[in-house]
This record gives sequence, C-alpha cells and structure tokens, in this order.
Amino acid sequence: MTAITPKPARYGMAIDLDRCTGCGACMIACAVENNVPPARPEATPRTGITWMRVYQISNGASFPDTRAAFIPILCQQCGKDTPCAAVCPQEAVETDPATGIVDQMPQRCLGCRYCMAACPYHARYFNWWDPQWPAGMEKTLNPDVATRMRGVVEKCNFCHGRLHTARARAAAGGRRELHPGEYVPACVEACPAAAIVFGDLDDPASEVARLARDGQSFRLLEKLGTEPKIYYRTARPWVRQAAAQQRPASEPPERRLRAGLPAPQGSGQKEPAHA
Amino acid sequence: MLSHIIFLGLFYTVLAVLSATVALSLFRAAQDFRARRAEAICWQATFPDLPARERVCRHEFTGEFAHRTCDRAFDCRECQTHAALVAERPPDAAPLPREADVFGLEFPLDRFYHRGHAWAHPQPDGTVTVGLDALGARLVAEPDAIELPAVGSHIQSNGAAWHVRKRGADVRILSPLDGEVVATSDSQNGWYLTVKPDGGQLDARHLLRGAEIRPWIAREMERLQSALAPAGQAPTMADGGVPVDDIAAGYPDADWDAVCSEIFLQP
Amino acid sequence: MPKVDSQLMPRGVRRSTPRQFLLWILPWCALLAFGLYGAGLCLVKGLNQTNMDNRFAFGLWIFVDLTVIALGAGAFFTGFLLYILKKRELKAVINSAVVIGFICYSGAVAALLVDVGQPARFWFTFWHPNVHSMLTEVTFCISCYLTVLFIEYIPIVLKNRKLRQVPSFLVFEFELHKLMPVLAGVATFLSFFHQGSLGGLYGVLRGRPFAFREGFAIWPSTFFLFILSAAAAGPAFILLTTWLVSKISGKPLVRPEVLPLLGRISGILLVPYILLKSIDTLVWIDSTSPARGFAAYQYYAWKPFGPWILFAEIVAFGLLPALILLRRRLRESPAWLLSAATLVCLGIALNRFVFTIQTLALPTLPFDPFMSYLPSWQETATFLAVVAYGVLLYSFSFRYLTLFPQEKDLSC
Repeated sequence: MTAITPKPARYGMAIDLDRCTGCGACMIACAVENNVPPARPEATPRTGITWMRVYQISNGASFPDTRAAFIPILCQQCGKDTPCAAVCPQEAVETDPATGIVDQMPQRCLGCRYCMAACPYHARYFNWWDPQWPAGMEKTLNPDVATRMRGVVEKCNFCHGRLHTARARAAAGGRRELHPGEYVPACVEACPAAAIVFGDLDDPASEVARLARDGQSFRLLEKLGTEPKIYYRTARPWVRQAAAQQRPASEPPERRLRAGLPAPQGSGQKEPAHA
Repeated sequence: MLSHIIFLGLFYTVLAVLSATVALSLFRAAQDFRARRAEAICWQATFPDLPARERVCRHEFTGEFAHRTCDRAFDCRECQTHAALVAERPPDAAPLPREADVFGLEFPLDRFYHRGHAWAHPQPDGTVTVGLDALGARLVAEPDAIELPAVGSHIQSNGAAWHVRKRGADVRILSPLDGEVVATSDSQNGWYLTVKPDGGQLDARHLLRGAEIRPWIAREMERLQSALAPAGQAPTMADGGVPVDDIAAGYPDADWDAVCSEIFLQP
Repeated sequence: MPKVDSQLMPRGVRRSTPRQFLLWILPWCALLAFGLYGAGLCLVKGLNQTNMDNRFAFGLWIFVDLTVIALGAGAFFTGFLLYILKKRELKAVINSAVVIGFICYSGAVAALLVDVGQPARFWFTFWHPNVHSMLTEVTFCISCYLTVLFIEYIPIVLKNRKLRQVPSFLVFEFELHKLMPVLAGVATFLSFFHQGSLGGLYGVLRGRPFAFREGFAIWPSTFFLFILSAAAAGPAFILLTTWLVSKISGKPLVRPEVLPLLGRISGILLVPYILLKSIDTLVWIDSTSPARGFAAYQYYAWKPFGPWILFAEIVAFGLLPALILLRRRLRESPAWLLSAATLVCLGIALNRFVFTIQTLALPTLPFDPFMSYLPSWQETATFLAVVAYGVLLYSFSFRYLTLFPQEKDLSC
C-alpha cells in the first residue's frame, strides 16, 4: 500500500507489573481490535481465545499477608530461534525483518497445532469453533483486521493493522519515519494505569529501550534462549521470584502460587496450602 | 536456499525413482507380451507359490539327490545341474520295456511326460500328439466341460494347453511343448491336441521319460492319497487294486478343486 | 455365493465358512460405523468435539499415530532384512508385514486428516514447505512411504487366485517383483527419515525442556532413538500379530523357527537402543535440561508421572525384554517370547506417550499448573474406527490373499 521503507525497528514492550491492576482492559481492547469472536457457552479457559491474557499470582501467604500480582501474557515476539516459526510446516509464521514482529498467517495455517506445542509461553490460540458473532454484533468488527476461520491458530501480532494505518498516515504526510506514539497496539492504548510501554527496542532514545535495560526488568524463561521482546518490570522481590525464576526446585510451585487459570477437573492439583 | 534445494531435491528424486520403477515394470510387462514370454512368466511367477512337496526336483526321484527342490519352475532345458547330470550319467543303452505299470496304471514309455501329467508323443510326420496320462485322466474322467485351444493357436511350454472342468474343479492342463496347434480332438482318439513343434523338433529335455516314471508316479500317488484324505486324518493306503476310472465318483465329499490343483500343479 | 467366495480364496488352505466370516466382521463393521460417526462429528462440527485445548494441543490421536507408525516399522525393516540383507527366512512374514504397515500408515494419515483444523489445506505443506521443520519432513516422508507401501501391496493383491488368471496382472507383478530391492531400499531410506523426524518433532522443541535434546548437526538425539526403537518394535509387533492371527484362525501360519527369529532381531536392536537411551537420559538430566533452567527431577514431582515412568520405559519395558529375547532357551518358549514381545511394544507405546502427552502436561511458565487431559468419546471413537478399519482390511486380506506363504506347506 505504501512505498516507504522505514529504518528497521525492533518493536517490544516493557510491562510494569507493579502498575498492573488486573483490570483486564487490555484483554478487552485486544479482543475488540482484532475481531476475536465471543466465546461459545461451552468454551473453557483452556479453549477460549485471548491473545492478551492476564494471569494472577499470589504470594501464597494467608491473610493479612496475602498479596496478589497480575502478569499480562501475550506473544513474546521471540527474537531468536523463534520456536513457532521454526516448526510450522507451511511457513505460516513469518518474522518481519522491518519490525521484528512475529506474524501469523491464518490463511495458510493448516491447523496442525505444532506451533502451539512449541510455544513455551502458551501465547497461541486455536479456533476450536467456527467464529460466530451474535446478530448485530458484526457491526462492531474492525474493518482493518481480517477475521479467521475455524481450525486455524492465531496470536498477538502487535496490532499489525495499526502499523499499516500509521505508515499510511505518515506517507500521506510525506514522512518516512513514524513519530513515537503514532503506532501503539490496542492493549497499550487501553491500559488505564499506563503499565505497558511500547516502542522500538533498538531506538536508544525510546522509553521502552531505557526500561528494558533497567535492572528491575526481566524476561520470562530467559534461559530457553528465545530472546523474547516483552520485558516485565517489578520492584517487588516475591513477584520477581515467582515470575522470573525458573521452576522452583524444592517443591511443586502450585503450593506457593496460584495461577489465574482455574484447574480443570481431575488434574490432581491441590489448592495452595496456607503457609 | 541450499537446504531448500537439498530437501526438495531428495524428495523429487524419491518420487522419480518410484515412478521409474512402476513405469519400467509396466514397460517390461508390455515387452514380455510382445515377445510371447507372458505364459512362461505366469508359470514362473506362480511356481514358488506351490507347496514344497510339489516342487521336488526330478533328480530326487532317481536318487541322484537325497533332497532337492526345483528353483527354475521345472524348466530343465536351462538348468545347468540337469545338463551336468545327464552328461555325467548317460541313460542305459539297454532297451526299456514298452510300458511301465505303476499301481495298475499304464504309462507307455514311448512318450515323454510333463510334471503336470500331460504327455507328448512325437509322431513320424513331425507333429507331436499331446494327451493326459493315466493318472490325470482318472482325475478328470467324464469332465463337465473341456475347453481346447483353437486350431492354429500357439501353446507354450508350461503355459496352459487346455482347460477342463470337473465337479467344481477348474483345471488348466500344462503344455509340455511350444508349438502351433494343428488338430484337436476329444480323448476318443487317445489324444487331445496335435501340435507342430516350434523349431521343427520336440525339445523334451524338461520332460520325464523311461526310468523316471515309476518313482515319479509312486510319489504322485502318495500325494494324491494325502490330498484325498479328509482334513486332519492320516492318509490311508490301498493294499492292492487298480484306481477306478473315475476317482472323483469314489470321493463325493472331497474338495475336487483342491485335489486337482495339487496334482495338476495349480498354485 | 459360497462358491464364488471359495474361488477367491487361495488354494490349499482352509478358511472359515462365509457365515463364520460374516459373524466375525459384523462387530468390526459396527465399530467402524460408530467410529466414523465420531470422526464425522469432528469434521463437521469442528475440533471442539474433542477434549484437546490450547494447552493440550495434541492428544490421543497424535499419541496413537506415533505409536502405530513405530509399530508399523516392521514393514520396512523386514523388507530391508529380506531384500537387502537377503535373510530368506523372513519371506514367511513379509506379505503380512506389508499389509500391517499399510494399515498402520493409512490409518495414521486418516486420523491426521481429522486432527488438523483444515484438512482441505493438507497440500499447503507441499506447496510452501518449511524445510527446517521436522513436521514438513514427516509429511513428505510419510506421503512417499504410504505410496511405496501401496505399490508393495499391489503385487499381493494381484496374486489373488482369481486376479492372477488375468495374464497382464501376473506379468506386471512378476516384473515389479524383480525390482523389489529398489522399493525396499527406498522404503528403508524413507522410513529412516520419518521415524527419526517423528522423534525430532519433540527433540527440537526449545520451548519444552522436558522434550528438548541436543544431538548431531540439525538432528536431536531423539531422532536416532526413535529410529532404533521403531526398528526394535517392528519385528516384535509382527511376531505378536502373526501369533494372534494364527490363534484366531486356528491354523499354523509360519514354521516354528520364524517367530523366535523375529524375537532375536528385536532383542539385538533393543540393546543399542537401551544403551543409547540411558546415556541420552543421563545427559539430559545432567546438563541439557538444567542448562535451560529446568532441573530434571522436578518433572517427576507431578502425579501420576513419577520416576517410575523412567524406570518402566528403560528397564521394565526395555532392558528386561531385551535380556529375555537374547536367550535362545527363553525365545523358544512361546510364553516367554510373546511376553517379551508384548513388553517391547508396550515400551515403545510408553515412550511415545511420554513425548506426546507428558510433554504437554508439564508446565513451562513458573506459575502454570500441571495440566491433565482425557480424550472425549469422539476422539476415542475415531481411534477405534482406525482399529476396526485395520482389522477389517487385514481380515479380508488374510481370507483372499496369501499373506503367509508357508501356510500351505503346514496345512497338509
């Protein structure tokens, strides 16, 4: 659509876990922006589509020392040996070199779900049903984003449609480069606590690059070597320990933490013991 | 890019090899038909499916081997072992009796016998008459139907000479020679076909004759007894007497198709 | 009708009466119908009919596919031993092995077509192949190999008593058989790669340290381990199925030395497999998994997957049957032979289970729970449809084709 070739960027996020209130506005905004179909009545937390998903963790202590924290998980846009891209048999996953965004092509997806097995962050979602919108709701669809069909995988793509719109606007204004803030994904825009900072990690002047280098920042599952581009920040040691550390070696973590996902029937998981 | 080429290259190679294999087989099959090798091939292809007891080498009959199974579909013409044995031990000069009497069955020794119980009898005028031997005739006595080849058609050694149907058995009689059919007859003349052999003369190297007949038929009778015994029972041996003219009538419950396949070498 | 039926059967062997045969196949047909209904529901209504979800993206079907493909390896391995290494004794079982291989692979492909979300897009992998993905390699290889199995099945069918009366069928079969070593070589090459790539599917998952393995060049150790285990399981499965068919039909089908031979082959291959698997497990516990931030023993802290599962896979279902199968005295006792062969096949199934199901059950994110999964009735029905299809195809093949050439010699 546009003929501009901007300088290659490496878009990433810095999410402040101390600001996140768990309100879920980011989840709603994401679903609305990206035409995620409403969940069927039979859907469970494990079959619903949530490109952005807020997990809740607690420090496992009993009242009055109980503390909770919220961790928004979305596609981490892995920068190295991207697990999902490496395994897709149809090359339906592509990393855009100009932006670093890991893009999913549902039109080419076969629905084999190998990428879902490969993703350690569980950021990929399958259309277990045919997407259906109740009568009248189709008016709320975002015309810039294609809907998907049943049997294909989808995930966060940093609201790629908004990137195209921003580039078109810049081109119309005769500019090659985007102003900072001209392109923000829906979750960033919707967060009332401004917990998510988005920008070009390679731009030393950008806020996100500064935050990423900060000592309070960490990434999930760093030792896997996937170089995710989502940095999480917290000043609370217990949150950092819970989220940044690899699996605790001494005891099953379920006894100290409780994830946001309700346990499915018969999983053998115990409710957390009160310390 | 290189890995792309290697990967796809390997698979296209595999597909090419597979297609070539199938195509080559089809091509060779067509060639076989044009070269009139088809009947011989049909026999060679099915020969290994015969049970081991039916594939005994003729030289086991005459005691030259204790145990030997034929591995060339009874085509002694090309067999080096047979040629070597014949050269080493030429047949006796003494004249043979006119006919062999084996268990009361008559086997004239002026003719050559095929393992499939057809005989070939060279005539003075250069043709060869072909008929069914005493054992074979008793198995398909009073047949329900006989299908003889048309006059002028060509029969091939080890191919089908003619077809007989008897009580559910659909039998093809193996031809003892290659040649053109010049006359056919029902068995009233004692023969079924008169054949002009290819090459002018009968090549009988793969046919049994003379002293081989007795041990061969003795074994065939053994096999027949086994085939006629009801399943699971031990075979019984007659202790005298000549087999009746129509053996099928004497065994109304036997699976006649199985019995005939056993004796007429139909896999 | 019985007359036509008996004319289609091989000569010189006994088969059940048409009525007995009908009684045998009717329940399997019913099971097939029920299974097709379950599969049909999944195809029409979508994969929400299964109990798979975003955490358990692979379930019963993938586990079953990997297992039957490993067990069906007997087809290629017997072909390799017979046509390339000229072990003539295996002629006794090669036809049955080819039919079983064909059933396993065609059944697996059919299940896969139901498993993917968009079956009509199956050709995308061939049109846009990602040559770096193990699953692409699997797709290509299995498609080619199924073709090879089909080509190897044709001669068996053409040798049917009625069909072989058509001279062109027999001559074509004869010419094709002359080229069988070529087909066996291609089959071995393809099987080597796809059995390996099925292991590679899990060994390359950097995001799943439970499954991830280092290896040689682009191939993780699971690539080679899967090939070895499939080669060991193949003869054991042929042994079991031959015995089973012999029991069900009530006839001896192979000479007495054939089954112990298959057991011995299986035992010989099990030894390097157990050795390499043990080394691989130790390396994984000691360095591969901890390097990625996951101490190995915490995988086994989740019920029901305790350390017993490692012991079961390597010792009870691996080392133990290997020791049994390598002793001639034990091989010649049917009870020991069959038990050992069963243990081998169970061990391979357990290995595939560990990689497909346990990998997905174990959490990766620190705050994730252990996941569990049980297949829905539609998934189970689809699996049973494949089983019923296999039994039916084999039953018809056994009745009308010569699957066991030695049967004629043994039936007099």
